Amino acid sequence: MRLLQVSAVVTLLALALMVWSMLQPTPLPVMLAMTVGQGLGTLALGAYLFVVIRDLRRTYVRRREAEESKDPP
Amino acid sequence: MHFDPFLIAALVTTGIAAVLLLWFLVRRPPLTKSTKVILLFGIGILPLMTAANGNVAGFHATTQRSFCGSCHVMTPYSEDSDNRESTSLAARHARNRMFGDTNCYTCHADYGMFGVIVTKMGGLRHVYEYTMNYRNMPVKQFLEEIEIRKPFPNSTCMHCHSTENPMWETVSEHTSTLERLRAGTLSCASEGCHGPAHPFSKEAKRLKAGGH
Repeated sequence: MRLLQVSAVVTLLALALMVWSMLQPTPLPVMLAMTVGQGLGTLALGAYLFVVIRDLRRTYVRRREAEESKDPP
Repeated sequence: MHFDPFLIAALVTTGIAAVLLLWFLVRRPPLTKSTKVILLFGIGILPLMTAANGNVAGFHATTQRSFCGSCHVMTPYSEDSDNRESTSLAARHARNRMFGDTNCYTCHADYGMFGVIVTKMGGLRHVYEYTMNYRNMPVKQFLEEIEIRKPFPNSTCMHCHSTENPMWETVSEHTSTLERLRAGTLSCASEGCHGPAHPFSKEAKRLKAGGH
């Protein structure tokens, strides 16, 4: 959950950089948006996918364990 | 600021993503399936749309004269193009709606299959040079010392002025220099022909060479 909160904050930062470049299209904001902004956005998306996939795996493992404990060998 | 549909789309997707993310940060909901879907939009889909639209909007913005003129050393060039009284080659082209607000880009871009990429790479080099070497240089000194990196190619002029129009051929200077013009050994923008495109920069160099 903590990682998702960080990911959300990083996404907001990335969006802020992108919006800055669109509202003030001068070399510095445009270059920052296309490098740092998009890099942060990609990192945040990676963190989100990591958390979701980890959560899905845990759920899957828990369900399997529950099923195995129900069926006696 | 330059408005285009991509800019509006990018701002809308940013706004929606920001609302979703702020809701998640403030309310701190449990990580249920619906929260994951909301975050998929807030962190993934909508920011990706913002980036895609922002890239196109950014590309459009970088073709604007105001973008070129945002570096202080370029202000005489952009002001000349903005000046409706100016008779320089650049200003006359800026008054043509085929060039308009993008006259710097239209004339100085590279063309061909990888033209846009080559142009953007060249632009990055300009930004690097400006940031590292010229950001504190006075405009007067810049005009006196700095030259265009490579000679302006006639092929750029020939995108519009094909050199095959009967009216163009009625000008004796055109027909007598046709081979050299097409070969690029004589510049359309040379002094005595149609240039210089930015006369004030050449005047500054001449004054410096004359010791004034």
